[in-house]
Amino acid sequence: MSRLLSTMLAAAGMLALAACTGKQAADVALPATAAAAPLSAPTDFGPPQGQPIHAVLTSPPNVPPAIHRNYPAKVIVELEVIEKEMPISEGVSYTYWTFGGTVPGSFIRVRQGDTVEFHLKNSPTSKMPHNIDLHGVTGPGGGAASSFTAPGHESQFTFKALNQGIYVYHCATAPVGMHIANGMYGLILVEPPEGLPKVDHEYYVMQGDFYTTGKYREKGHQPFDMDKAIDERPTYVLFNGHEGSLTGDKALTAKVGQSVRLFVGNGGPNLVSSFHVIGEIFDRVQQEGGLHPQENVQTTLIPSGGAAIVEFHTDVPGSYVLVDHSIFRAFNKGAMGILKVDGPENKAIYSGKEVDSVYLGDRAEPNLHAVSTAAKANAAGTLSKEDQIAAGKQLFTGTCSVCHQANGEGLPGVFPPLAKSDLIAKLVKEDKNKLIGIPLHGLTGKVTVNGTEYNSVMPPMTQLTDDEVSNLLTYVLNSWGNPGGQVTKDEVSKVRAQPAPAPAAEH
Amino acid sequence: MKRLLLLLALCLAGTAHAASPLPTDSLYQLAVPLTDQDGHSAPLATRRGTPQIVSMFYTSCTMVCPMIIDTMKATRHAAGEPAQLGLLAVSFDPERDNVDALRRYAAGHKLDMRYWTLARTQPQDTRALAALLGVQYRKLPDGDFNHSSTLLLLDGEGRIVARSSIIGRTDPEFVAAVRKLAGS
Amino acid sequence: MRRRLPLLLLGLLLAGPTLAADYAPLPGGTFASVLPADGKTAPAILKRFHLRTEPVTNAEFHAFVKSHPAWRRDRVPSVFADGRYLSQWAAPDTLGPTALPRQPVTQVSWFAAQAYCESEHARLPTWYEWEYAAAADATRADARSDPAWRERVLAWYGRPSNDALPAIGGTRDVHGVRDLNGLVWEWVEDFNAMMTSADSREQDGADKLKFCGAGAISMEQKENYATLMRVAMLSSLKATDTTANLGFRCARSD
Repeated sequence: MSRLLSTMLAAAGMLALAACTGKQAADVALPATAAAAPLSAPTDFGPPQGQPIHAVLTSPPNVPPAIHRNYPAKVIVELEVIEKEMPISEGVSYTYWTFGGTVPGSFIRVRQGDTVEFHLKNSPTSKMPHNIDLHGVTGPGGGAASSFTAPGHESQFTFKALNQGIYVYHCATAPVGMHIANGMYGLILVEPPEGLPKVDHEYYVMQGDFYTTGKYREKGHQPFDMDKAIDERPTYVLFNGHEGSLTGDKALTAKVGQSVRLFVGNGGPNLVSSFHVIGEIFDRVQQEGGLHPQENVQTTLIPSGGAAIVEFHTDVPGSYVLVDHSIFRAFNKGAMGILKVDGPENKAIYSGKEVDSVYLGDRAEPNLHAVSTAAKANAAGTLSKEDQIAAGKQLFTGTCSVCHQANGEGLPGVFPPLAKSDLIAKLVKEDKNKLIGIPLHGLTGKVTVNGTEYNSVMPPMTQLTDDEVSNLLTYVLNSWGNPGGQVTKDEVSKVRAQPAPAPAAEH
Repeated sequence: MKRLLLLLALCLAGTAHAASPLPTDSLYQLAVPLTDQDGHSAPLATRRGTPQIVSMFYTSCTMVCPMIIDTMKATRHAAGEPAQLGLLAVSFDPERDNVDALRRYAAGHKLDMRYWTLARTQPQDTRALAALLGVQYRKLPDGDFNHSSTLLLLDGEGRIVARSSIIGRTDPEFVAAVRKLAGS
Repeated sequence: MRRRLPLLLLGLLLAGPTLAADYAPLPGGTFASVLPADGKTAPAILKRFHLRTEPVTNAEFHAFVKSHPAWRRDRVPSVFADGRYLSQWAAPDTLGPTALPRQPVTQVSWFAAQAYCESEHARLPTWYEWEYAAAADATRADARSDPAWRERVLAWYGRPSNDALPAIGGTRDVHGVRDLNGLVWEWVEDFNAMMTSADSREQDGADKLKFCGAGAISMEQKENYATLMRVAMLSSLKATDTTANLGFRCARSD
């Protein structure tokens, strides 16, 4: 009788399941293939041993101490949700919903294989129900389905930390985006069984985007703005929930010659982070918290709802700025933190500023006074040769001297000299227009100056105006043993109006 | 739903069949009258003294409710068919589940009425009983119901000793609790 | 003993609050709810009903407890109210300085709210009745498409509740009812009919076996998240739960 009943029950169960879901009740087993091995499941470390441990949780930016245990244990985690008003920026307050009273919420640290008994409490002063989804949980909703908690109540559920890694946790109560945007996220670290390599400092940093009805730094109490959140237009992008949470006297600290590990999370709700520490290179990055690290990384992407572990060594003192390298977020929305490294300098690695000398770009002359004098005189019709020479001299520096050198001697084999140039002497007598054409159109191909052949490319000086060209040429003609003479603006204008000559044929 | 005031006052005044006061966490504090498949009416508290497996159902439910009934049967069987164990299923749908419907259902599912009771409340009391049992339900426009499926184990004093949402097969922990309570 | 019981009960019933609370009529009709009647799209159909214009106050509930001492916090069975029931009062029968008479009563369970409403010859409103009433503003019966309506509702959610509860006194809406939004969460008769999944990201009705019949309700009008939050709140509650922000008002059928 009983066997019949159980069979009927089982059959009825299958049928009912089918009726409810509309699918075939029978599973279809995948045919085994010889080639591919099945995806291996993470090792199960067996049941918890020893006495239950009460997890030590820490507030950001601190991290609980490393676990020194070589067996899986039962770990009891108690986390309370508190809704509280705190400053988001100087003079600006915001109602945060928090895990453990902070944004991000308390850092949880367990070992792979641990059985975690999770107690979620919702403060009696809360208005809202809350729950928790831990990305390190394998189970429906990441725990969210089992932890929906009304104000003044406590929920409990238990999970096994099957996979090692650094995982985000967050609230998943409707509307989920709002709960996250109000600060309900944090990190849980599931250490590998052998633990992480020892470092001098471990810190907890978590980025989040915030949406207020008022503008960035608009004073007063700012409510959450759902429309901005849906449109993904944040007002603030912050590390650890508040502007200035990692700057000034709250900056992270280290000494020269130490190792630093940052657990960096991104709660979102919307933005992906391009995480970078200015002045440092990450020796080792566990991208997305995964098992296989990348090395020598400048900027690492941290997805929304994701996390990474970055490690680096400090070599020289200074303030190293943590930023989201979508850089307007750092400078205009607050995504900035500081790691202050103290200790002795090391010039071999970074010297600081060594030389401060003049760099002459185009128009490098600090005082182009003569140029403007000449321009005025020209306009007045009183331009003299002296004016032109003075103006031309000032223009020469930076424009021509770069190649032909300050005293016109050129560079042997590369740039022809202008000083006592037989070519200039010849052209000014026989073909002045051709001379004018050189700065206007440039000169390419073979040319012999003072017995030496040059085959180079002089680009057209298109940035020069007609009177600038006339002043320059007048200066050159009257310098360094050249025959003298004058070139007027009109002469230059006429040559400019002609089409450029064909470049000299290459042979 | 005029019962709450009256029934609480009843408790205060002291009812005749309560030898000692009910524990504060006893479900029998809500002395809602139930009418069974034979038409007999009595408060819920008359079941005091015997452990009970309690659930809620409705007769026109074709999918899950027959499984609830069958799971209750199977649980009793798996616990060794103890003599001191009552099985009670109360309808969500007192508008349509009258005494006749209950009796036909009991016959159709071959329920042993020595220890089975199918019952209905007054329409205005259904919600309070469901709230007490922690069962959720919602009436749909077509007369069907959305509802959760829960089995509760009450001790002789009406306190909840175990709950299970597993239907379609027996819940080993629930069965163990029944064994422990009702013996075999 | 048995004969005297009905008389005793009658006396208790009549000892209820003598000052009649104000109830306003609401016309009902069809209404687009965030919880569709069939779980998909069907509108709610409401009959005409009356709604208490204000939530029940500390003073009113105090009078109720005096005349129905079974509902004192030191006497109520734990199956009807949890350990925080009326904990804001100074003593089981005294309000005290921090529980002002005109504040809405909070820390009351569903059973306690039901019992109070019975004492006024009323009942708790259904979710549809409540949602319908709360959609109104000073000039319209359904102001939900107005962003200002939503902002007003949300402004309350955004504020933490460590401040003292304000007294009743909001603007009356077009029906003459006040303080449905912005003061306290309120019980409804069918709070346990919400049947939304505890993990609100599940779009395809939760665990079908758990909520068989059509699966748990999906919430329509997801952009109307102000109402969504209220549903989330109610669906997190058990009948014995009390919170510092949860009160109630009553309704009467026509």
